[in-house]
Amino acid sequence: MNWPLDLVPLPVAIPLAVAAAMLAVSHFLPTRLPDVLATLTALAVAAICTVLARQSQLHGVLTYWFGGWAPRPGVVLGIGFGVDPASAGFAAFIGLLFAAILVFAWGYFDETHAHFHVLMLLFLAAMVGFCLTRDLFNLFVWFEVMSVAAFALTAYQLEMPSLAGALNFTVTNSLASFMMLGGVGLVYARAGVLDFQALGHAVARDGPDPVTTGAFCLLAAALMIKAAILPFHFWLSDAHAVAPSPVSVIFSGAMVGLGLFALAKLAFQVFAGSAEVHALTHGLLMALGAATAVVGGLMTRAQRHLKRMLAFSTITHLGIMLTGLAALSATGLAGLFAYLVGHGLVKGALFMLVGVLLAERASVDELGLYGLGRGLAPAGAAMALGGLLLGGAPWGVLDAGTRLVADAGSSAAGRWVAGAVVFGTALTGATVLRATGRIFLGLGPEPDPEEAASPSQEEQEKADRPLWLMLAPCLLLLALALTPGDLAKRFAAESVGPFAPVLAGSTAALAHTGRATMLSWMSVALAVAVAAFDLGRAHLPRPLLAAVDALSRPLFLVLGELHSGLVGDYVVWIAVGLACFSIYLAFG
Amino acid sequence: MSVLPWLVAAWLFGIGLYGIASSRSFIHLIGCLSVCQSSTYVLLLGIGYRWGAVAPVFYDHPPGTPAVDPVVQALVLTDIVVGATVTALLLAMALQVDRKYGELDPQKLRPLVAKARR
Repeated sequence: MNWPLDLVPLPVAIPLAVAAAMLAVSHFLPTRLPDVLATLTALAVAAICTVLARQSQLHGVLTYWFGGWAPRPGVVLGIGFGVDPASAGFAAFIGLLFAAILVFAWGYFDETHAHFHVLMLLFLAAMVGFCLTRDLFNLFVWFEVMSVAAFALTAYQLEMPSLAGALNFTVTNSLASFMMLGGVGLVYARAGVLDFQALGHAVARDGPDPVTTGAFCLLAAALMIKAAILPFHFWLSDAHAVAPSPVSVIFSGAMVGLGLFALAKLAFQVFAGSAEVHALTHGLLMALGAATAVVGGLMTRAQRHLKRMLAFSTITHLGIMLTGLAALSATGLAGLFAYLVGHGLVKGALFMLVGVLLAERASVDELGLYGLGRGLAPAGAAMALGGLLLGGAPWGVLDAGTRLVADAGSSAAGRWVAGAVVFGTALTGATVLRATGRIFLGLGPEPDPEEAASPSQEEQEKADRPLWLMLAPCLLLLALALTPGDLAKRFAAESVGPFAPVLAGSTAALAHTGRATMLSWMSVALAVAVAAFDLGRAHLPRPLLAAVDALSRPLFLVLGELHSGLVGDYVVWIAVGLACFSIYLAFG
Repeated sequence: MSVLPWLVAAWLFGIGLYGIASSRSFIHLIGCLSVCQSSTYVLLLGIGYRWGAVAPVFYDHPPGTPAVDPVVQALVLTDIVVGATVTALLLAMALQVDRKYGELDPQKLRPLVAKARR
């Protein structure tokens, strides 16, 4: 019964090997071959990870020690991969997302000799390694490989907005990796090991210790920069807005979510025994998550550049996921798992639809595209469905996650968490619905030609791609997002135990409460109402409009100014975030 | 272990952050980022250091001789490699910005970025 164990290193080794081979012979490959090879590799990764997830469900966590360096009693020297259903399941989802996106990007960068595919495969290998590893330093290494691949992919177009976005992204995320390394060093200074399980024992044994708590703060801040949580979130909207569409899909759908996934691993497997960390997570991280959801929702509504809009929507949803994590309960963790996958599917599909608009109509500006979506009916229907799902419509995986997260948050910290979740969910849904109405139905007042004439970017994506080839992977993702919520919940709840042994005994509360169903309908109703308000301004009484504008304009102005696009400002905000941690520890 | 390496590491990280926040040139900014990174080297080497111990090479020492911790040295080596990669990538991007727009001051590049973000 050893064969599943032999599979464990493959999902990382295969893409790395294929990428290296492809790079070596890239000049001799026929044009289409890299597409086919990369897609097949991603599918193979997804398949192997699915098998691993199933096997670990049947036989418990699989642990693979590289080079046979299994731990001797008391000494853990080797580096291991630990495969539990949640980690392998998420890795399988990432593989699938990559396969879909590689089909979408078919022939995308044909003149560049497969370099795009090499970077994508490197990115894939790093993300899967990041999911499966059970060694803190190894986690840092995958974090770095992932970041470097992402930096290069963001700057791929070498034009001004993408270079500026990539520079901001690189500087902030490099700071994140330094903080992470500092955290690794501090925790190693106390525990003397780097294996998650051994660290968990050491932390629980040593009791309260400022060095361990400081290490958690540095690690958490680093992962929260990656996961774009307030006040570390500024880089995300710059980077996601300028990266090529297929890359944005991966960023929003998987990479940023991985930050929270790793944070959950640290909180539940390494620092579970520390009371200070528990209090910090429950208090500060919960508040930051809720604040991120609210601010992200407002910022989403203020955007007209479709990619920036979706980027801010991603920030909102990451905030919601963080509240689920910060509840530190089985329900919250199950919610986080379901939400990660559900959000990745929906947001991936929406970014692909923006790519379709860019390819077919040469613009990503909501006003510039006014009424231009006629003739792309399937894309319009898909975008409306995506908007409804983002807005909390009670179907599918994302809704299952939202319910669990809202339940866990409100029982851990109070009703206000559910309020923030509904607010963020509704505003992001409303904004996507508003854009759908404007672009595909020509609803709302016709924009000033002066204002709308200039498409907001001169992005040149290849225009002669066949429409069906772009729509097929997008519709596949949406169909998967509509998997019955109960199924998703059950898998998520079963994965909690092996992922977080510390929660053994407590099971996720899956029962549909009437309140949760009401919350879903409430947020989707709010989303539709806000979208209708924005689109129907011409038919609304003037005093109402004036009152709403007087209230909201200063708020949006201030928020817009804060998102300045200057990397220096972002670094100041990172320092502010670190200060928040220390103030909370000193006085909280 | 003395408290000095911890203080030096904190100082380097802070001064690097200050440099990035106030920088008016991407090249200077990348240098400041390297300063931040060197704080992690100091921290890690400080953690692994043992007074009166030898380097962790046992070729001419009997096994069991007290040695400094080789694990953190491996971490630092990995970190240096990573740092070189990131710095090279950043400098390449700065070069592209300069070549296309003849400008490396983030403040002066801001209007170009803002136009594209609207």
